[in-house]
Amino acid sequence: MFLAFKELKYAKQKFALIIAVVVLVSYLVYFLTSLAYGLASSYTNAVNKWESDQIIMTVDANDNLMMSFMTQTDFNNINIDGEKAKIGLFPAVIKNPQEVEDIDTRLNIYLFGIEDDGFLKPTDSNQTLTGNQVIVSDELSKNGYGIGDMIAISGSEIELEIIGFTKNATYQTAPVIYMALSTWQAYRFSTNTPPNLFSGIVVRGEIDSIESKLSSYTIDDYIFTLPGYTAQVLTFTIMIVFLIIIVAFVLGIFVYVLTIQKTSMFGVMKAQGISNGYIAGSVLIQTLLLVGIGIIIGFILTEVSVFFLSDIVPLATNVLFYIIITLAFFLFALFGGLFSVSAVLKIDPLKAIGG
Amino acid sequence: MKKVLIEMKNVTKDFLQGDNVIRALKPTNLVAYEGEMIGIVGPSGSGKSTFLTILGGLQKPSTGQVFLNSKPFSELSVKEKSKLRLEEIGFILQASNLIPFLTVKEQLVLYNKIMRSKVDKVWMTELFDKLGVEKLKDKYPNELSGGERQRSAIAKALYHNPNVIFADEPTASLDTNKAYEVVKLLARETKEQKKATIMVTHDERMLEFCDKVYVIVDGVLSQRVNA
Repeated sequence: MFLAFKELKYAKQKFALIIAVVVLVSYLVYFLTSLAYGLASSYTNAVNKWESDQIIMTVDANDNLMMSFMTQTDFNNINIDGEKAKIGLFPAVIKNPQEVEDIDTRLNIYLFGIEDDGFLKPTDSNQTLTGNQVIVSDELSKNGYGIGDMIAISGSEIELEIIGFTKNATYQTAPVIYMALSTWQAYRFSTNTPPNLFSGIVVRGEIDSIESKLSSYTIDDYIFTLPGYTAQVLTFTIMIVFLIIIVAFVLGIFVYVLTIQKTSMFGVMKAQGISNGYIAGSVLIQTLLLVGIGIIIGFILTEVSVFFLSDIVPLATNVLFYIIITLAFFLFALFGGLFSVSAVLKIDPLKAIGG
Repeated sequence: MKKVLIEMKNVTKDFLQGDNVIRALKPTNLVAYEGEMIGIVGPSGSGKSTFLTILGGLQKPSTGQVFLNSKPFSELSVKEKSKLRLEEIGFILQASNLIPFLTVKEQLVLYNKIMRSKVDKVWMTELFDKLGVEKLKDKYPNELSGGERQRSAIAKALYHNPNVIFADEPTASLDTNKAYEVVKLLARETKEQKKATIMVTHDERMLEFCDKVYVIVDGVLSQRVNA
């Protein structure tokens, strides 16, 4: 610790440059993590809000809940150990019927048709869903909508009245509008006497048996069927993992070069009887110090960015991911530092004496 | 009765070169008592380095034994030898063995850090005073002149109270006046603190401060009588 610290203090500029590299990369990694998590959350917030275990739709829907049609009979025939709730899902484009200037008109949203007494209803609003009265994602308030405002749906006569807002209600990055299932059916089938059909059944608990024309998904599996979700999560994960490995290499190379430069000094130290352990330890501690200082600054920059940018970009902080990434940084940096340790072990103290 | 601090008993060193065994060091005996400064001279290639590295425990002798403060130094494991070197030997090397990014004071503190012991401020100040480096204690090696650097190196070598001082060409980079000054200090501390000092040098003028002078030629160590 002593040697590692003193050298950092002595060769400030040199180490500042190395730390700068770590700062930039760790900033990028943390930022990407926030972005990846934020984007993934905006895909799945509304699904996670169900706090349920499984979802059932028809086999014919081919994993696409919007293309699934289920009947009351299907609902009755499903045996489960727990609770079940019907859901209707369909996308729509909404606009403000008054077209007031300060409201962004035309927004892509998803309509969730639910039963007012079911567990799918957002718990943070206690208004009753009847007729055209809807609870909407608080994302819509950013677009200027307020309680009591009317919403028009493109291509439909239906107008909806906002009676409440709910948090974390986005599905495939678009805001969700919660409405009574009957209203949803009226929109979905464009008639005032719609068939009693809905898209799927969300289950809290265990499914005992279902008919062969239906298929069930765990919520996690279902999320992975959302278009683009897997590709996006995989892309981000690969980027983040590679960046961490690259940092390990860059840092490993830096520290290795520094160690090689100090070969004769380490040789003299060894000749004096200073142990391999102490020298290697101080090289490793130095590596960890460089990473530590770098990622702390990178982390602070990320949090500042999240604070200022989270309205524009879907950034979100996930403490667990941050901890995993931070540990990975340290682990890989330690791995990079091991090159130098092996270099230290190979230094021959013989060369320091005589000649 | 003076204490024996270094003893080499019938030490030889052989190297394999191809199929031939080359004897780099012929049977060598050497005794150094406390308070004694011993000079070693010899041309390069004479076996001087071999002698030194065996004495310092960096190589194992082919036959014979080295005793350091009555401990069978050459018989110990590499780790134990390292430990004993750290405790029993103070090194003063040619290009000075100061660590570039530590101030003079920190060079000494490093020993405490390694041994997890307390800094002996009184002793440190006394050493700095004796060697005239008190004003330099917060400077880095590259801010010091050659003589100042070697004086600091002596302070470092003496700080942990080793019994033996190893000085390998301590005056190589110094002009005559500075060299005299440094060796004089070294000789004085050897006497005062009852160390055994082994100084290897090219510089014949420095031998006047030595109690005994040995010459090493072609692997044979012999005492120079007229020293």
